[in-house]
Amino acid sequence: MIIYVLANILPGLIDWLFISANWIGETQDDCTKEGACWVFVNAWSQQSIYGSYPTDELWRVNLCLALLTAIIVSSYLLDKSLRAKISVPLFLLFPFICILLLDGSYIGLEKISTDFWGGFSLNVLLAAASIIIAFPLGFIWALGRQSHMPFARSVSIVLIEFFRGVPVLALFFMGSVMLPLFFPEGTNVDKLLRVWIVLILFMSGYMAEVYRGGLQAIPHGQYEAADSLGLGYWQKTLLIIFPQVVKISMPNILATFVMLFKNTTFLLIIGIFEMLSTTQTALSNSYWLGGYAAEGYIFVAIVFWTCCFGMSMLAASIERQLDTVKR
Amino acid sequence: MHHSASNPMDKNQEIITICDLNKWYGDFHVLKNINLTVRKGERIVICGPSGSGKSTLIRCINRLEEFQKGSLVVDGVEMIEDVKNIETIRREVGMVFQHFNLFPHLTILENLCLGPIWVHKKPKAEAEATAMQYLERVQIPDQANKYPGQLSGGQQQRVAIARSLCMHPKIMLFDEPTSALDPEMIKEVLDVMIELAEEGMTMLCVTHEMGFAKKVADRVIFMDVGEIVEQNAPNQFFTNPQVDRTQKFLQQILNH
Repeated sequence: MIIYVLANILPGLIDWLFISANWIGETQDDCTKEGACWVFVNAWSQQSIYGSYPTDELWRVNLCLALLTAIIVSSYLLDKSLRAKISVPLFLLFPFICILLLDGSYIGLEKISTDFWGGFSLNVLLAAASIIIAFPLGFIWALGRQSHMPFARSVSIVLIEFFRGVPVLALFFMGSVMLPLFFPEGTNVDKLLRVWIVLILFMSGYMAEVYRGGLQAIPHGQYEAADSLGLGYWQKTLLIIFPQVVKISMPNILATFVMLFKNTTFLLIIGIFEMLSTTQTALSNSYWLGGYAAEGYIFVAIVFWTCCFGMSMLAASIERQLDTVKR
Repeated sequence: MHHSASNPMDKNQEIITICDLNKWYGDFHVLKNINLTVRKGERIVICGPSGSGKSTLIRCINRLEEFQKGSLVVDGVEMIEDVKNIETIRREVGMVFQHFNLFPHLTILENLCLGPIWVHKKPKAEAEATAMQYLERVQIPDQANKYPGQLSGGQQQRVAIARSLCMHPKIMLFDEPTSALDPEMIKEVLDVMIELAEEGMTMLCVTHEMGFAKKVADRVIFMDVGEIVEQNAPNQFFTNPQVDRTQKFLQQILNH
């Protein structure tokens, strides 16, 4: 049955995707053949990757992306002690380095307003910047939830349940529409900054629950061994408990990352020009009328799928590296 | 070694003083009016049926368990409800657990160096040198860069002993150190403990290894239902137990 369906669909699909597809050209008129018009994707590629970021300044975005790749690769190659000393601080600084570079006005470059930031690079950088902050923040919330101090525990539970219970779209609307109402008149907090904060809090709520599962799996003897050595609470938590929780929770942490990364496309509804919204803009462009929606969305799907698959591979390989029993 | 009690002035010094210690789990009275004094260099074996409170008692000494009534003084420091105070005591007291409790995400060497580096603020090189010295003493220096999961139970327990010794404790607590081991590995762990005892370490050991008790203990304590029922020198304890409950217990564990 499945084979029958595939046999009927596949040849046509392959024909449309590759064989009679239009690969070369610059305008709509070059798409003369029956198949997909990849010219459309090609013509809009800069938009869909960088948004409206000025062409002359694209190196800044590229530098941020390169830096992110470099940090990930280095943390993978460096051995354990160097990783803690070099990669971890770099990761934590990364969001702020990006802000400095992309905005530019703080470091003497031309200021590029966040209105011009966009495209797939925004999806990637925003997701990375949110994950990096939410990774430790979620753990603090998870610790708070386990705490014996009533205040810390109730605050953590309220935060976790609120940000997990409210749909992310509602959170984005709150961040972009409601939040400014609470600010004193005249203050203008950047929309992207508000979105970033919403993403961090949303992600932290999910991470906290992921960590909670990990925390419950740590045998009590680990705490006792750390206590009996005379380690303080934070030493015990950071040196003994946290690394083991991360290891146990790795599959769920990755699932949460992928979810957040894909959720960044929801930003289109509050008017942030991430990849999906640039694609929609391109589709309604008057020079490209005639329905290239399939090409546009397939491209978006391929790009996101490739990245998420890459993250899966990376996580699988990290899991293998962390497996201290079989090695 | 650091632990030798060669100074005769030390010999009679009290290092642990437990007075009227009482502990409850809810309504359950786990420890009842415990009075115990341990002198420096003394080796004590605590035995008794399961549920008698013997593990709970030694876990009170480094505050893995709280107690509700009574007092406990370790090396001149009174155990009070204060984090700094508890940490001070824990630095003087090493503990070896039934299930080893090594840190599985760290190598053997890292397990040994963690305390010295973070608690005693030793430089890494110095901590590693000390760690290797102790690994040699427990005869597994070649395992230094492996992870705990790759070692046998006996090896892991020897690492756990070495990890405690790296902190240069004045007192060592052993909580059924051989109970989770396969029979052929018990000896290698006991040998390390015997060597330690012979060097003059103050030891409190919860164990059913009566051979070990006969060989090294200065005093054997028998506990039942939360009380110290009887305590005596090992030859007296084993040949001439004073109390019925002790006799029954000894019959049970020696006749099989």
